Amino acid sequence: MNTPKPDPLPDLADLPWAKPQCREEVSAAIRGACTKNLCPAQRMSASMRLTLCIAASSFVAAVGYWFGVRHNRSELGLRMGLLGALGWAIVQTAVLFMGFGPPRGRMSTRTVRLVLAVAVPVLFLGYLTVSAWSFVPFEQFSQGARARHALGCGSVALFFGALVSGSVLLAWRGTDPLTPRLSGTLAGLIGGVGGALAVGIGCPSHEAWHLWVSHGVIVLALGVMGCLAGRRLLAP
Amino acid sequence: MTSYSVNMWPALEVARLTFERLPSLAESTSEQLMERYVDGEAEAFEFLYRRVSPNLMGYLLRLTRNRERAEDLLQITFSKIHRARGSFLKGAPVLPWILAIARRSFLDERRSAQVRTEDLSPDGSLPEQPHEERALPAELSDALEVALARLPETYREAIVLTKITGLSVAEAATVLGSTETAVKLRVHRGYNQLRKELEQYSRTP
Repeated sequence: MNTPKPDPLPDLADLPWAKPQCREEVSAAIRGACTKNLCPAQRMSASMRLTLCIAASSFVAAVGYWFGVRHNRSELGLRMGLLGALGWAIVQTAVLFMGFGPPRGRMSTRTVRLVLAVAVPVLFLGYLTVSAWSFVPFEQFSQGARARHALGCGSVALFFGALVSGSVLLAWRGTDPLTPRLSGTLAGLIGGVGGALAVGIGCPSHEAWHLWVSHGVIVLALGVMGCLAGRRLLAP
Repeated sequence: MTSYSVNMWPALEVARLTFERLPSLAESTSEQLMERYVDGEAEAFEFLYRRVSPNLMGYLLRLTRNRERAEDLLQITFSKIHRARGSFLKGAPVLPWILAIARRSFLDERRSAQVRTEDLSPDGSLPEQPHEERALPAELSDALEVALARLPETYREAIVLTKITGLSVAEAATVLGSTETAVKLRVHRGYNQLRKELEQYSRTP
């Protein structure tokens, strides 16, 4: 009488799984390609990458300040803009350190970065809402000089933001095969905040729609663009 | 004698520190091997390759279910690793890093294959689809592979990474871009389905 075989699934890890090997010529080709003329790789430390990102952000803020001085923005306005920029520069640096500093691949860092990706735009839009002093209906905002001003500010913020985001993406290029979209989103948000603040230093408007559309939406837009670019630029 | 020992101790200390800093390649962890490979040590790559490639080949073979494609992807993955070795961040776990590169290579290759037109066989007909409903082989390891290949890709991947490759659930979740709970669920469901698939193997004498 034939006895049935024992249950083949006591524990998956203990089962006799096959250990497939590639052909020897494939192995030889890989070894040859990866060790031919091998020399120490040019490496940039994490602190160097972080410093580059901070430098790009500081440059953009300095241009914003220069723009404000050149266009005779009031001293109080400049001071307020600088104060806001200083506060958000701290947030930006914290996001850079927490989002890009620790090596990828640990779940805790992924959770922290996810929280940052949600919290930064929400907090920034909240900050813009609080710092708005006046409010006009959308119909008035979307026409004439106000609309032109909003378009100008938005374009400059987008340009500055793209500059900072691009620097972050380039500084961390090819470093994250695990969560490139999330890292890209963070890079976009960091750049967006940088661009919006640089424009905020030079921009005299404190109208709510203007701040939301020209300064705030740029942060969201760059976050989305960073997410899309991250897959291409941050994954090896 | 005293002066001899005074002169010798610093040299011995340096040798000890050097030895401690650089363990032999066979004893090094994958992370240490990667570091030494990045620093230009070809022999470290050899050890890293020997340690990582069986897992990587197994993962790719179970994803593609085609040996030639898996070997192509293995080469693509290692060429990407070679090019990106300078951007490997110190302290990052190596195996999830490499598996994530392999997975992305597989997804890219599949995406571009979907765009390509279907190849015709020499007589001009469309290639035959593989038979999914064949009986399980008599050998347990072969039966396991066939049963595993029949699982949906998400379950299969989760089982391969956690149970065969040996990643922790957290590491598998980072490779798959998912949460730990989702990975646990996929493994559990995959396990149940695998059990059903293998029931007929248990019943056959």
